[in-house]
Amino acid sequence: MEPDAQLVQGCLRGEGPAWEELVRRHTRRVFNLCYRFTGNSTEAEDLSQEVFLRIYRTLASYRPAFGAFPTWLTSVTRNLLVDHYRRTRRDRLTDSIEDAMPKLENKQSAARTPDKLALLSELSAQLQQGLSRLSPELREAVILRDLQGLDYSEIQTVLEVPEGTVKSRINRGRIELARILEEMGLRPQN
Amino acid sequence: MTDWNCARSEERLSDYLEGILSLAEAAEFSTHAGSCDACGKLVKQVRGLVHQMSALDALETPPQLIPKIIESTLGPRRKQSGGWQRWFARVPQFWQPQFAMGAITVAATILIVLYTTGISPAKLKKADLSPANVFRTANRQVHLTYARSAKFVNDLRVVYEIQTRLQPDAEPSPAITPAPAPQPNSQPPSVNPQEKSQTSPHPSHSQSRNGAMLASLLHRNWAENVGVIVIGDIPRSPR
Ligand SMILES: [Zn+2]
Repeated sequence: MEPDAQLVQGCLRGEGPAWEELVRRHTRRVFNLCYRFTGNSTEAEDLSQEVFLRIYRTLASYRPAFGAFPTWLTSVTRNLLVDHYRRTRRDRLTDSIEDAMPKLENKQSAARTPDKLALLSELSAQLQQGLSRLSPELREAVILRDLQGLDYSEIQTVLEVPEGTVKSRINRGRIELARILEEMGLRPQN
Repeated sequence: MTDWNCARSEERLSDYLEGILSLAEAAEFSTHAGSCDACGKLVKQVRGLVHQMSALDALETPPQLIPKIIESTLGPRRKQSGGWQRWFARVPQFWQPQFAMGAITVAATILIVLYTTGISPAKLKKADLSPANVFRTANRQVHLTYARSAKFVNDLRVVYEIQTRLQPDAEPSPAITPAPAPQPNSQPPSVNPQEKSQTSPHPSHSQSRNGAMLASLLHRNWAENVGVIVIGDIPRSPR
């Protein structure tokens, strides 16, 4: 298997197959990150597409010295997720106001049921619901560490915050998530 | 040793779980968690959660996503011209139910025709396959057999229709539906028009408990059977 750096070189020489291979190799990771963050498969697909479009356009600016290609890819994804979160914040605020109105409750809760993908496993779905109740700062830290398996220094690179901040966000995120899940009636077992 | 409290435990929880606390801190942590219910419980919960998350499989990539990404970056893709990929792309259609059903029906039809025309596949000689011979042997038996099998098919239909109408709530099983369907194929080309126009009954159509409907159905079917027998057994005689 060719290393990512060689595929990137191939892409920069204009080799289509190298790009296709790069996409094939990393789409799952990007999609999962987007899905875990947004909790919505349609949004996650659109965002994944956006991520690769941006990667494709800025590939020439990537240097292996900046970190491994997957770390760079994760940074790009994370930045787009943050942009997307800010962009859609207004909609979500409107949603939560409507949530408070009893008449709209049914319609809203119907629109809110986790989509099919999340129902693949019950645990996965409950976790997804719990994650969506975490603040985006804590959510991204927990996803990167516990679902994507990045180490602290990679997360530090992606989030562009000091290691101490990374650690404390992960720690607080886990504790809050555990409490949310308990509130939801889910008891994690060992 | 005394200033270790709940807030401190929470703060160092992940470090504790990852085993990166100093020995002294780890000892204090354990002592506190062992005596404080809230912290003890939290440690268990977070440990379980981290374990579960690490064991969770990544979601599959939606199948259309990669082609979409490639198309949005490289533009519409030319069809893969590579031999084996193209060939494999076609394979699945052989396994589609319609195709399999069709193949089985054709095979069954050939067997039925051979059997009813008195040709045993095991004793087939080349001469038997000459059109004149096939026709001669066939002509003898086909009329009788056809009349019998047509009646049999109709009987099956009537039983089936009665069943579906008497149990309107029962989900029509897809395994039953094709049963009458292959039969028209096994009929010789000289299908009488009445027979042809009456296609296989659809189990899904209005499942009424109406007794009158059942009666009319029985009546219609009886008339058809008689019609088939008349046409099949006796040459149509001038009245
Ligand atoms: Zn405590």
